[in-house]
Amino acid sequence: MVRSKAPGKKQQKKGIDFKKIKRKLGRKLPPPKNATNTEIKSQAIVLPEQSVGADKSGFATSKKGLTLDELLKQTSHHNAKVRKNALHGIKDLLEHNPAELQSLKYAIVDKLRERLSDDDKSVRDTFYLLFDSKIFPSCLEDNQGPMVSRLMPYIFKAMAESSVEVRLMAFKFFHLVVKHYPPTFSLYADKILENYKDIIQKNHFYVQDRSKLNVALSGLAHCLSLLPCDESDTESHKENEPLLAYEQDAANESARFAHVSGRLKEIVGVLINCFQDFIPLIHTPGGFDEKSFSCLHHILCSIGYAIKFSIRMHVQRQTMWLPAAEDVTLMILDQDIAPLISKKLLGSFPLNPENNLSGKVDERYFILNSVLTEIFLEVSDWSHLHTDLCNRFLVFIEYTLLDKISRSDRQRKPIPKPIHEKTLLALLPSIPKLILRMDSDWRENLLQAFTSTFNDCKPESPLTLACISVVRNVIIPNGDIHYLSESDPTVNNYLRVWVNKLPSLLNQLGDKHPLSSQAVLKLLLDLGRVGCLNASPTFEEDIIKFFNPCSQGEGDVSGGAFAKLPREAQDLALAFLYYFTINNFSSPLLESIVSCCLHPQLEPAVLCRIVEVVHDAYSAGYIQITDHFSFLTTLVARFKVVQEETHRGTLKAITELVCLRLSKMGDGSLILQILEKVLLEQINLKPMLDNGCAILRIICTLDSKPTSLSESSITTLSEYLPGYLIDIVKCIPEDKENSSLYIQTCLYYLIPCYFMFERSSKLTEEVLKRMQSIVSENTKALESVQDRESGRNSLNLIQCVVSVVLLMHNDVKVRKIISSSKSEIDLILQDVISLQSSGSTSLTVEGKHMMKMAGERLKIASNSLLT
Amino acid sequence: MEISVIASSSIDGGIGSWDIKTGTEQLRFKQCASPAHGLTAVGEKFLAASQLRNASGSSGSIFFWSWNKPQVEVKSFPVESVKALAANSEGTYIVGGGASGDIFLWEVASGKLLKKWHAHYRSVTCLLFSGDDSLLVSGSEDGSVRVWSLLRLFDDLQRQQQGSTLYEHDFNEHTTSVTDIVIDYGGCNAFIVSASGDGTCKVWSLSKGKLLRNIIFPAAINALALDPGGSIFYAASVDSKIYVGAMNSSSDYATQSLGSVSEQGKAVTCLAYCADGNLLISGSEDGVICVWDPKLRRLVRTFSHGKGPVNNIQVVRRTVVGNSNKAQSSWKRNGSSLPPPPLEKYERSGDNTMDGIVIVDPPPLSDVPVYSSYHSADLINEQVRELQQQGSAATEIEMERLKLEYKKSLQMNDQWQKNYENLLQVVMEEELNGSSS
Repeated sequence: MVRSKAPGKKQQKKGIDFKKIKRKLGRKLPPPKNATNTEIKSQAIVLPEQSVGADKSGFATSKKGLTLDELLKQTSHHNAKVRKNALHGIKDLLEHNPAELQSLKYAIVDKLRERLSDDDKSVRDTFYLLFDSKIFPSCLEDNQGPMVSRLMPYIFKAMAESSVEVRLMAFKFFHLVVKHYPPTFSLYADKILENYKDIIQKNHFYVQDRSKLNVALSGLAHCLSLLPCDESDTESHKENEPLLAYEQDAANESARFAHVSGRLKEIVGVLINCFQDFIPLIHTPGGFDEKSFSCLHHILCSIGYAIKFSIRMHVQRQTMWLPAAEDVTLMILDQDIAPLISKKLLGSFPLNPENNLSGKVDERYFILNSVLTEIFLEVSDWSHLHTDLCNRFLVFIEYTLLDKISRSDRQRKPIPKPIHEKTLLALLPSIPKLILRMDSDWRENLLQAFTSTFNDCKPESPLTLACISVVRNVIIPNGDIHYLSESDPTVNNYLRVWVNKLPSLLNQLGDKHPLSSQAVLKLLLDLGRVGCLNASPTFEEDIIKFFNPCSQGEGDVSGGAFAKLPREAQDLALAFLYYFTINNFSSPLLESIVSCCLHPQLEPAVLCRIVEVVHDAYSAGYIQITDHFSFLTTLVARFKVVQEETHRGTLKAITELVCLRLSKMGDGSLILQILEKVLLEQINLKPMLDNGCAILRIICTLDSKPTSLSESSITTLSEYLPGYLIDIVKCIPEDKENSSLYIQTCLYYLIPCYFMFERSSKLTEEVLKRMQSIVSENTKALESVQDRESGRNSLNLIQCVVSVVLLMHNDVKVRKIISSSKSEIDLILQDVISLQSSGSTSLTVEGKHMMKMAGERLKIASNSLLT
Repeated sequence: MEISVIASSSIDGGIGSWDIKTGTEQLRFKQCASPAHGLTAVGEKFLAASQLRNASGSSGSIFFWSWNKPQVEVKSFPVESVKALAANSEGTYIVGGGASGDIFLWEVASGKLLKKWHAHYRSVTCLLFSGDDSLLVSGSEDGSVRVWSLLRLFDDLQRQQQGSTLYEHDFNEHTTSVTDIVIDYGGCNAFIVSASGDGTCKVWSLSKGKLLRNIIFPAAINALALDPGGSIFYAASVDSKIYVGAMNSSSDYATQSLGSVSEQGKAVTCLAYCADGNLLISGSEDGVICVWDPKLRRLVRTFSHGKGPVNNIQVVRRTVVGNSNKAQSSWKRNGSSLPPPPLEKYERSGDNTMDGIVIVDPPPLSDVPVYSSYHSADLINEQVRELQQQGSAATEIEMERLKLEYKKSLQMNDQWQKNYENLLQVVMEEELNGSSS
């Protein structure tokens, strides 16, 4: 409605500007001199405007016709009902005029914040609702910092109220603020934690009224989850700061939390006490209800976050300033806290219901147990727990990995998949640590359990990624290879099983899960780099399958996924391929790579990269020279030009690359000697124009002047070349408008022939002779045959030959070369002329004209050859 | 001071050397076929190059040439074929990286193998010292770059106690073989730039031990050279172009190129930067060495090395041997004129525990130019012994001389006294005669 407001005002103004003044025409008498002044003067009388009567057109109003200003005033009315209604009114108004909020945001917040500590419950609830549904969602985009800083003093005030209800509302509201603007917590961390501690500690309402406690606990859990627990949290944003510049004193996230550790310790203590209060409830026969479960869950999660954070802070401090200290345990987990955690918290593990109960309750116990296990995993690094207790946890971990958590004996319904998976995701990252640390019995059990998890996980589940990172961390902890030095044969056996599963996993993943594929490839690459791929036959087979895009068996539909993966994954795969070929080169692998290269959808850049990788492996001495030769020649000879624009360019690039590689490999004439037979066999097969050109180019690159090709090769070439030359003219459409481009395109195909002609005059002669015979044959055919269709074909052929001769004649150097076989050209000319003058019926008028043109152009050419 | 460019090739073409200022070819050292990064100048003393050999040969070989002779002066045969070779700036140590991933550290003056350790999983491709010679950076075919502290390498005790790794940093982000590494002037807190066959160059911080930048090039990179300004580096690629990489660019892709070396797309294989005159020198696969002016981005001059691909270029400066050497003691003269002993094959064990200890001299006096840094214990012992012997002879001579002088001065004293008495007599007589007359 703001829009309508502006025009409304304008209209009013207009009315004032052009007020019609009615004047009476005529003269007025001047006032008499003795007239008494009857004017009465008084102070201005101000009548307070009545809201009902006031003109509100153009102002945004609520349903009840109240403007925002009035509503805000009413929020501090002494009657609770009016205040509540005013808040409802504001909500209503903002709903219809969202723009109003943007402009008056701060004014509204400034006024409303007082309601946070309102005496009336319904007013507070409405207040909460208003912020939840309207104000915060609409301010998502802009900077919420100023608004939060306006609210915070009132929140703190309300948190310290005497009324419990008000305090709870303050916590609930604060949780809302944090949800919408997470940095709030880091700004006021210390004070907030103090308040939380206070409310949880002092008021003993919890066990009685869990929903109230839950309010505070859920907020606390959320806040603590915001503590930076991973390196990545703080490192990520530093990506692009300039090098060699002064370092900015940007407030370091973890430095900001540096002082809260003491507070966290207190909180953990309070929470553990709180947990203790729940213990009797846990062991009651009926189990516990939803609310107590949620409380417990929040308590455990909060403790988990706090411990995780303080350990991380400690580690960081240790790496940065402090030398290694031995009593690390005591430093992080205070002397008071450490026994508290181990006895009161972890000691109560596992939480089990007294009686067998319904599935729902079982699930709850499972979740709580898994959170406890997480805490255990964090703590166990640093403190020595009782062996018995450790074993209980390890059993739980093992059973979770094996998916064997049995609930009650009667009904063996498994834990629902999503919950189980979530737990596994939380537990998996600590598995490598456990495996490395445990004694051999447990190690074996854990390895066994993990292997079963790894084998069971489906390609589409997020567990795959987690499992891969576990495998990675066990084999290559912090970048250094571990598994060769490991003396324990059982561990090595398991590791071998995992590594051997990787390629088949890669094939299972296909191209649908690029992230997982990438992780697998990265792991394979790192293993390859350090040279510990002790590949089994299945491993090799799977790798070969991965690269081969063509399906081999009938069962396979898609073939290997390599060609369809995103570029990053392909790069990783190729880097891996290099190290793999170094250790496990086999001809099936090469075949697979070749068929991958010939895949029409492969990007040219990737193709070039493959050629480079294979060449690198060759030059490092891992691929036999013959294999490498056949790889290069097959590539050139078999590459299919399907789509002219893209594939032709690719083939050109490959040809160039292959020529370069071949010339690098050694003396050209020697290589030609080796390759001559193979290349000419390919020529004999009459390849497509582009492939033919590529092969000819290779021959030219390797050959020298005079040619070192054998007699028989020359004959083969002379058989192939006329057709090839005619194909050039046939396949490349003549572009009348851009003749230079046309000539350039033709030149690409012609140049290898020119080189060959230059190097061998015999070849020139033979080729021209053959072309001449084609012309004469077709001339004869034209004279005898009556069929229209074949007549046209012959005519076209003659036409093409003439064009080829003319094209050759256009080039100055080639003109010299062909001048020696002028007689052949003259013969062609004669044929053309004879055809033109003959009265053959199959020749149309158009054909005759064409022949005439051709004849004339040929005549000029032949004359110039003479001079 | 004379600055020259030396270059070697992977096929036997010797080591060519040219004067950078005039472009005239100097001595060509014979019989050298070195792998990439296998050529180094050892201080100002001599040249060293590892040799490519047949795969069948079990041992490798390293040849030394002195500056004024084209023939190989010293041949040494380490246990395995050595790929990369580097020497610290003083020329007191040589490190070699073997095909199995081991690194060897030799002391030049004694030829002793001080340390050999397993550094990489695959063969070492390049080695270099940091500007202050305290760190060694090695790159390998397995794509890892590792940084070693020369001091900590020998600190077995601390390593055992802390259980720490031998290396200081392990940078593992390259996916294929590392081809070259350059380091800037930050000493042990420098940035290093590594190039790889995967077509990327990565900038690492030695102080933080982490990756700072990843710059992607259009083709695989063979060699690097750092601009003295420190913010730009040059990358030689296999597509015959020299690309310019900026450390601070906002984009991850580097496409700017200085120029193309050859028309046929022959790869650029090595680069060197000559700070004196600001010239960039590149070597390519067709055996041509190009000198560029990187500021103007144009070619200044070319040298031809020969038919084979150039794979090493170094800019070396050597002082012209002049009169200054006369000031040195007899011991030093002897030391510098003799060729260094060949490098030993195996680490000497149980010989003398003091052997491995490196002693650092006090800061050198202002007018003692060379030989002021590190010597190992037995060298020092030898020097002390020599000094002692020299010292006893000298004092005897000195005593003799002093005795002689003492005698002389006694005689002189007598003579003066006689003269004085004579004079006194004469004067007295004259006085007496005068007064009488």
